[in-house]
Amino acid sequence: MASINIAGDTSGSISLTVPSVAGTNTVTIPANSGVVMVSGNMPAFSAYSNNTQNVSSNVLTKIAINTKVFDTNTNFDATTNYRFTPTVAGYYQVNGALNFSVSSGQSAATIVVYKNGSAVNYGNYVTGSYAAILNISLILYLNGSTDYIEIYGQLGGTGPQFIAGSNATYFQAAMIRGS
Amino acid sequence: MSLYEKIKTIYPSLTDKDFSPIRGKILLQNDSDGKGDYIAKWEHPTLARPTDEELA
Repeated sequence: MASINIAGDTSGSISLTVPSVAGTNTVTIPANSGVVMVSGNMPAFSAYSNNTQNVSSNVLTKIAINTKVFDTNTNFDATTNYRFTPTVAGYYQVNGALNFSVSSGQSAATIVVYKNGSAVNYGNYVTGSYAAILNISLILYLNGSTDYIEIYGQLGGTGPQFIAGSNATYFQAAMIRGS
Repeated sequence: MSLYEKIKTIYPSLTDKDFSPIRGKILLQNDSDGKGDYIAKWEHPTLARPTDEELA
């Protein structure tokens, strides 16, 4: 199998110019108005809650995801709004989980992803559990400027809590395709 | 007393299903911004949205 090796300069950067006429290329590079997506410019983050959150029964409450594991493009706000606002337009894989507990009278629990302040997808909906982990997974489009996503949970019963923990109450997103 | 409890006191006939974010007619929300719980949606077909005075 043949291969082509390209040596970069001392900066490590290489520029490729697309020919203006059709050739015999076997690799297609997007038109000069497009952006070649590589791992370095595709935002991704993972964060979790490290504080157990006491919430009100039957109130859809934003999960305070306040600790980052990674945030490649500094697009996740873990201090004020707990939201992801990517600066690159495209399609994103989104994952979330909520570990919860209630002391008694549990009726229902659910997890929801919000886009721009409105519910866009619902995850697990469970009834009759005093403790469980709810999950949600979806793909959605974010415009790279004003679109943002957040994660909410709602619990019934008395003494409802969102339980802290990097492995159980978390929020993640990663770009999977450009726009 | 929480907002949910106040509303339940005013309208004892309401059930948890009425507050479901998926199919409920009433949505209570908290944006974890320190402003507390609030009524984000009230679309109940027969019960009127409580006034601020009733919820005070």
